[in-house]
Amino acid sequence: MSIAITSGRIVSYAWKNFARNAWIGLATVFVLVLALLSVNVLVGVSAMLDRAVTILEDKIDISVYFKNDTPEAVLQQAQFFMAGLPQVREVSLLNSDQALDAFKERHANDPRIMEALAELDQNPLGASLVIRGRKPDDYPFLLEALKNPQFGSAIESKTYDDHAEAIRQVRDIGASARLFGAILIAIFALFSAMIVYNAIRVAIYTQREEIGVMRLVGASSSFVRMPFVVEGLFIAALALVLTAGVVAATIAFLEPRLIPFFDGSDPGLRLFFYGRFWYLLAAEGGTLVVLVTISSWAAVGKYLKR
Amino acid sequence: MIRLEGVSKIYPPDVHGLRDITLDIDPGEFVSIVGQSGAGKTTLARLLIAEEQPTRGKIEIGGWDITRIRSRRIPDLRRQVGVVFQDFKLLPKKTVWENVTFALEVSGVPTRRIRDVTPQVLKIVGLEEKAERFPYQLSGGEQQRVVIARALVHRPKILLADEPTGNLDSINTRDIIDLLLKINAFGTTIVLVTHNREVVNALRRRVITLANGQVAADHKEGKYLLPT
Ligand SMILES: Nc1ncnc2c1ncn2[C@@H]1O[C@H](COP(=O)(O)OP(=O)(O)O)[C@@H](O)[C@H]1O
Ligand SMILES: [Mg+2]
Repeated sequence: MSIAITSGRIVSYAWKNFARNAWIGLATVFVLVLALLSVNVLVGVSAMLDRAVTILEDKIDISVYFKNDTPEAVLQQAQFFMAGLPQVREVSLLNSDQALDAFKERHANDPRIMEALAELDQNPLGASLVIRGRKPDDYPFLLEALKNPQFGSAIESKTYDDHAEAIRQVRDIGASARLFGAILIAIFALFSAMIVYNAIRVAIYTQREEIGVMRLVGASSSFVRMPFVVEGLFIAALALVLTAGVVAATIAFLEPRLIPFFDGSDPGLRLFFYGRFWYLLAAEGGTLVVLVTISSWAAVGKYLKR
Repeated sequence: MIRLEGVSKIYPPDVHGLRDITLDIDPGEFVSIVGQSGAGKTTLARLLIAEEQPTRGKIEIGGWDITRIRSRRIPDLRRQVGVVFQDFKLLPKKTVWENVTFALEVSGVPTRRIRDVTPQVLKIVGLEEKAERFPYQLSGGEQQRVVIARALVHRPKILLADEPTGNLDSINTRDIIDLLLKINAFGTTIVLVTHNREVVNALRRRVITLANGQVAADHKEGKYLLPT
């Protein structure tokens, strides 16, 4: 018995089975799509929350304001010292002229501040240093490092905001979203297995005469069974393709509208889903295929008992 | 060709289908199995194709002990024993041709061979002209001949027919019996389960009479002994 002949026939029988009960097949596809969507919504929400945390962590910095008359050499030394620390990602130095320019630009629309500024005959602003660490945990060390006696006394003030409260909130939301999502997915997985099982039972019922003939004329039990398993796989494949379409459309629609909630930066959905496309397809597709195969296998099992 | 040794079949909990049957059928024989309803004829037929397993005893087909056959070997057995059963009908949505080729397809026979074998078996049963008809477009006798054609696709050593003329009038019955005789003349062993007194008496072949799950009589040129 040639494998090519048999598998060709199995696929063609599977397709006929599917076509014969198209509505039940499509309803099954629909439920599987819902299950897959629930997985992808969870994955997407999770990715966005991670992204939000990253954006918040990115915003953490220390601004150091130097006294007005600090000599340039001390400023340079401070910058050089901080930039040399392995925990530091980025240091930018703003001398007093630059600070004044930035200040003027920021308050260009406020005539009272501009007037007040014009009355001064000297630049009131000192130089400042903005320091970004590599990790949120690095900041306590960096604050300590700024007490370096070579320039510590020239520092007038420091501001440091670790956004700890916001980050904690986002993480909390993430944790409850994941828990809720996992429960939802478990429920959908159960439904999916049940509905696939029943769809295959219906297919078997409509094929019962054929199955009887097959068994009596000497068809192997795998030949009786495989068309139904393959039919289940058709259903799974259709569900995967539809889900991919819905997810792509949702990302295209949603992402531009989410940008304001991310302070103008990219919510990262497209990047996340397209960057991991094959991985997600393999993981979701693989799970679905296992689930569908087991359900259809079990559904035919009873009929093969002699 | 067929050998039963002390075969009993008890359907749970305690219905005796067959009791201690011993018999031997040679290759090329044409054997009728007769007996009243409930005598165990169908049970015997089902044991021969491993549709049921005997409770006790031993069954051999062509020297092959199928008493405790493994399920994966059953397809092999079914290719050696063609069956015509009462509840083994044609597929109504397939033509005569498709009904026959279906049996070949599902057994994994290559397409080219299917195209050779199908006309051959349709010719044997005399239906090559009606290959494109659907079952409902055929008479009862013609339908039964398609069933026989389907049973022949694997060129079985044994053809097992359980009441193949049960629903037919005497002319169609005659046709079917003639066809079985023709197939027997090619060398196929025929086991015919029947109720029909005229058929059995006209055949003048071996008759095994079952009563109460036991062999009541076994005659070389037998007659239908029981009251009808
Ligand atoms: N699947 C079954 N389960 C229980 N009892 C059965 C089954 N098949 C047959 N029998 C019993 O076995 C006996 C023989 O039946 P059967 O072989 O069908 O007789 P026949 O074909 O000669 O009319 C009867 O008493 C019948 O009721
Ligand atoms: Mg019977």
